[in-house]
Amino acid sequence: MTVDVITFLGQSLFGYGQSADELLARLDSVDVERAVICPIKPRAYHLSAANDLVGDAAARQTRFIPLARVDPNLEDDAVRELERAVGTLGARGLFLHPWEETFRVSDPRLDPLLTRCLDLHVPVIVATCYPWVSEAAQVGELARRFPSVPIVMTHGGQINISGLGQADAFAVLQRHPNVHIDTSGVYRQDFLEDVATQLGPERLLFGSNSPRMDIRLEVQRVRWLTVDDASRELVLGGNARRVLRLDSNARPS
Amino acid sequence: MDQAGIDRAVVMTYTELPAVNPRALEYLADQIAQYPHRLIGYVRVHPWYPEALDLLDRAFDEFQMKGVKLHPVGNLAHPASEVTLRVIRRAAAHRAPVLFHCGDEALTTPLQIAQAAEAVPEAHIILGHMGGYFHVDEAIEVAARYPNIYLETSAMPYPNQIRHAVDTVGAQRVLFASDGPGCLPRLEVHKVRLAGLSTGQEERVFATNILELLGAVKARV
Repeated sequence: MTVDVITFLGQSLFGYGQSADELLARLDSVDVERAVICPIKPRAYHLSAANDLVGDAAARQTRFIPLARVDPNLEDDAVRELERAVGTLGARGLFLHPWEETFRVSDPRLDPLLTRCLDLHVPVIVATCYPWVSEAAQVGELARRFPSVPIVMTHGGQINISGLGQADAFAVLQRHPNVHIDTSGVYRQDFLEDVATQLGPERLLFGSNSPRMDIRLEVQRVRWLTVDDASRELVLGGNARRVLRLDSNARPS
Repeated sequence: MDQAGIDRAVVMTYTELPAVNPRALEYLADQIAQYPHRLIGYVRVHPWYPEALDLLDRAFDEFQMKGVKLHPVGNLAHPASEVTLRVIRRAAAHRAPVLFHCGDEALTTPLQIAQAAEAVPEAHIILGHMGGYFHVDEAIEVAARYPNIYLETSAMPYPNQIRHAVDTVGAQRVLFASDGPGCLPRLEVHKVRLAGLSTGQEERVFATNILELLGAVKARV
C-alpha cells in the first residue's frame, strides 16, 4: 500500500486549494491508496474550522488520514484544539507550520503541545526548511527535548537548491533517531538515497505536498530511487503505517 | 544521459577556476574529448581573481568552452558587482551565455541577477533552477521584463511553472537542464513532460534553444 504522508485539503489564504474529489483523482492517477490530509490555513485564519474540514473528509473517506493543525502562539488554546482534533475528529498526528503561523519551532513555548503529543501517542509533522523558523537544526532541537515523539521534517528537512541545507538535515537525522523526513520536492535524489543507505530506509516517507507540488512528479521521485525493493516499499508506505500507527484500530488516547 | 534519452549535455565543474581547481579546464577538456559529440563545456570562474578574464579567453579559444557558469554562493560576488559584470561583458563579447545559479539564497535571487541582465543587455543570462523553490514567480517576472534572460528548469519541483514560463516569456527562452548527477536526469525529463507543452514547445525547450545559443559562440573576440 502506498501512503502519501503530506497533502492539503481546503482553500488557502495563500490562493491555492484542493477539494477531496480533486485529491482522490490525483491519488488515483498515480495509484496511491491513502493520503494524510493536513488542514490548510483558511482565509478566515481560524484553524479550528480547517481541522473540522479534514476531520469531516476523513469521516466520509477511509482513504484519508487526518492531521490536526494548531497555532502554538495560542498556547493553552492550542493544546485544547489538539485534544479536540485527536479526540473528536480522529486526527492521527499534529501538523505544525512555523512559517504560516509565525513561530520558531524550537521555542520552549511548544513544550506543552509536544508533551500532549507524547501522551496521545501522535507524531508531529513540521513544515521544515523555512528560514529562521523551521531550519533542520531547529527541528533537531525540538527532537532533542522530545526523543520519544516521532517527528517528520517535510521536504527532506532541506529545501535548499544550493544543497546548503543537506549537512544540517543529515546531522539532525543522524543525531535524533525519532526524526524522519518526507520526500516532497527534495533537492537532490542522491540525498534521499544517502539517507536510506546510511541511516536506514525507515527514516524516509513518501510525501507529495499536493497541491503545491505535483504528485505525478513526487511519486516518481520515490519510485525511481536507487534503493532495493524492500526499502522502496518502506518509503512508499510501510514507514507511514508505523509512524502514524495506521494498523492500530484504537484511537490515540 | 542514456537512461534519460539525452543526446548531448552541457557539463561544468563543481569548483571554480582558478581558486580551488586550477586545472579545471584541462580536466573538463579531457573528459569532453572522450565524448566530443555529446558533451559541451562551460567554464566556471571566480570573478574576484584578476586573471579571470584571461582564463575566460583561454577557455573559449584553447579549450572550446561554450559558456560561463557563475555561482555567487560560492564566491560571494554580487551578480551586479563590477567584478561579475566584467566577466559577463567578456562572455558577451564571445557571445557565450552566462549561467547563474538562481535559487533562494542571498546573491542568487532573480531580482539580483536581473540587475546584471539590465547592465549588460547584450549578454544572454540564464537563471539556473529558475528561482529554486520560492523565487520561481519572480524569475518568470524578470524574464518577462528583460529579453536577455532565459529560464532553466532543473531541480525546482514545479512542472506547472514550466508551463507558466513558456506561456509568459515564450518557449524560446526556456531551457531544459537536469542538474545531474545529484538530480536524476530522467526525473528532470519527466518533469518537463508533465508541463503539458506542445511538441513544438518541447522541442525548443529540450534542444533547439540551447543549440541556437551555443551555435553563436565565438572562440575569439
